[in-house]
Amino acid sequence: MKFISVAIKDFKELIRDRRGLFLILLFPMFFMIIFGIVYGNMGQTNETYNLVVVNLDEGAKMPLTNEKVNFGDNLTEIFSDSEYEDSDVKLFNVINTSESSANKLIQLKEADAMIIIPKNFSQTIVDEMEDSITAQTTGTTSSNNNSNNDTLKLIISGDSSSMGFGVSQVVLIKIIGEYHDNLVANIQSQTSGSSAEPLKLFEGDVGSVSGTESFSQFDFLAPGMMLFAILLLATTVAASLTREVEKGTLARLRISKMRSFDMLFGALIPWSIVAAIQVLILLTVALIMGFNWQGGLNSIVLAMFIGVIGGIGSISLGMIIASFAKNDTQAFNLGIMVVVPTSFVVGAFFQLPQVVIGEIMGRSFQIYDILPWTHILNALKSVLIYGNGLSAITYDLAWSAVLTAIIFIIGMGLFSRFRLSVEN
Amino acid sequence: MVDEFIIEANNLFKSFGDFVAVDNLNLKIKKGEVFGFLGPNGAGKTTSIKMMVGLLRPTGGQILVDGKDIAHADRLKIGICPQDIVLWESLTCKESLKFMGEMYEVPEDVLKTRVESLLEDLILMDKANTLVSNLSGGMKRRLNLAMALIHSPEIVVLDEPSEGLDPQSRRVLWNFIRSLRDNEGKTVILTTHLMDEADGLSDRIAIIDHGKLLRLDTPKNLKNEFGDGDIVEIHLADPKMNPEVIFRLKTMENIDSVTEVDGKINIRTLNAVGKLPEVMSKVQDMNTEIADLSLHPNTLEDVFIELTGTSLRE
Repeated sequence: MKFISVAIKDFKELIRDRRGLFLILLFPMFFMIIFGIVYGNMGQTNETYNLVVVNLDEGAKMPLTNEKVNFGDNLTEIFSDSEYEDSDVKLFNVINTSESSANKLIQLKEADAMIIIPKNFSQTIVDEMEDSITAQTTGTTSSNNNSNNDTLKLIISGDSSSMGFGVSQVVLIKIIGEYHDNLVANIQSQTSGSSAEPLKLFEGDVGSVSGTESFSQFDFLAPGMMLFAILLLATTVAASLTREVEKGTLARLRISKMRSFDMLFGALIPWSIVAAIQVLILLTVALIMGFNWQGGLNSIVLAMFIGVIGGIGSISLGMIIASFAKNDTQAFNLGIMVVVPTSFVVGAFFQLPQVVIGEIMGRSFQIYDILPWTHILNALKSVLIYGNGLSAITYDLAWSAVLTAIIFIIGMGLFSRFRLSVEN
Repeated sequence: MVDEFIIEANNLFKSFGDFVAVDNLNLKIKKGEVFGFLGPNGAGKTTSIKMMVGLLRPTGGQILVDGKDIAHADRLKIGICPQDIVLWESLTCKESLKFMGEMYEVPEDVLKTRVESLLEDLILMDKANTLVSNLSGGMKRRLNLAMALIHSPEIVVLDEPSEGLDPQSRRVLWNFIRSLRDNEGKTVILTTHLMDEADGLSDRIAIIDHGKLLRLDTPKNLKNEFGDGDIVEIHLADPKMNPEVIFRLKTMENIDSVTEVDGKINIRTLNAVGKLPEVMSKVQDMNTEIADLSLHPNTLEDVFIELTGTSLRE
């Protein structure tokens, strides 16, 4: 297991070079602080977002009263009535329309987000109520007699790169969560007989949504800064590998039994740890600067894991740069020339115009999606801004893993060919 | 007893574009000998060595290590101590040796003993846990050598190992090189610019220039070939007279050679003391004053200069 020895050696070199390590960690932190100061207050204008609601709900009859209800309409009304916290500004300008015109509005950027309420929305809730009532009267815990086992799924979609969608998505998830909690509490009180009143729908009681007062542009830039820091690792790795060539230590290793895999895979381990630590440090700095972190503790672990994949991609990019650079200064400069445009292309600072080149698994595939860091950024945003879990980022994680593996193979191939094989 | 050759270079050729660095070099290095490799700067020594250890691909020819082509030779057989100090500055002496041993797949228990013994032999034990960056130049040189030996190779290539060493450290190194041959039976290939080092350590010496092998023999035979006698060195008060005086001295009988080296006249001859009066008389006949005169036995350096000339190499 020579790669472990290489990893230990690299790790020792990394932590003993205090100045270098300090710069690796401090430089992105500095950027985060600057961006936090500049953009921390931007976008806090309590803007009303355009929400397209596709309400397919067919309604249902309430148990006990046989009253006709439509929870979809009720939820739509709540969206319309919701206001910013400590403000009377409406969160959404609701547009009711069909699915096809909703898609068109999103594409034309005339709407920030769309939500599809399924046709069985009311019926599923009513079925649950009936099950709950039956369970209450018969003393059983859960029977699911009426449930048609349909999954109740509200689909929220939009342009994931836009800040409007970002804010809308977070707020919608909050409203739906509160709606669900209130619904459950209401059903429980109804079936336990503690309330003599028939089950009522919510009448605009979700007036203001907590946490909506402080969204700023910085919230959507912070994950981009994390990605930029991860991408910058490519320059450090390239300079470090080129230094091994320059100093002749690589030639020493070349005549040993070490293989290119040992050297490069070994190098991946300490640098991946650096990537994970960078994410953690930058998240902490971002939080201090007022970042609206939506996830729980598990989102930190998930973000660090995403950071490691991004880090591996950057290290592989560093290998490619080191294959061509003649000295560490050249490697660093070449690295900057590659990393900065890449950061822009993948949308670390702002989103470039959409350039769709195809459709994969029902999702549009843009030209920028051929780079793993685009998916890394999507995943980081999803986890940190929207508080999503692993299932929500599977698509982006899978893509980033596949693309990173490809870049690693290219990096290993080039470095082996130009740096580790017998000189000509 | 038939000599066993551990390295054979057959018609070894290397060019970089139009520049020929090594020109059909043929060498056979015996098992267990210290093989000196001499040549002026840019003569092709390091290029030849790089090809012999498998770091550089020859343009033509073949290198056999223990009978096998270098491409398929066992990497454990060769250890190289490069001309430059090639170390990881952020590792300690012990960590550097351990890491290098692991790269050669030396078993853990053997590696532990070997690290201790190399640190002991090269007088680095006190600095075992010191970072390389904090070592003196001499210590770094010795560690550089230890790194080449951690896997106990049969062939040890030392590319100018005494460069920058003080006389004390040089003696430690020379004793160590002798012990490698005498006690461990290793083959040592030594390139150096120090003629006394090559003379004192090498069993055989190859002198190359412009990528070509000029001579290959024992130091004694090389010196004999170029005059088994002495060198008279005359420094004239007026060096402009050198060509004229050289012309006159060449007419003397039993003189092997008369050349100009570094502005002085070198006369190689047997029984130089007996010939001195005649030499002095010829110089004085030309009304030329002698500023300085010395006499010393023929050295390897004289052989080297005789073969490679006196012009400066870059």
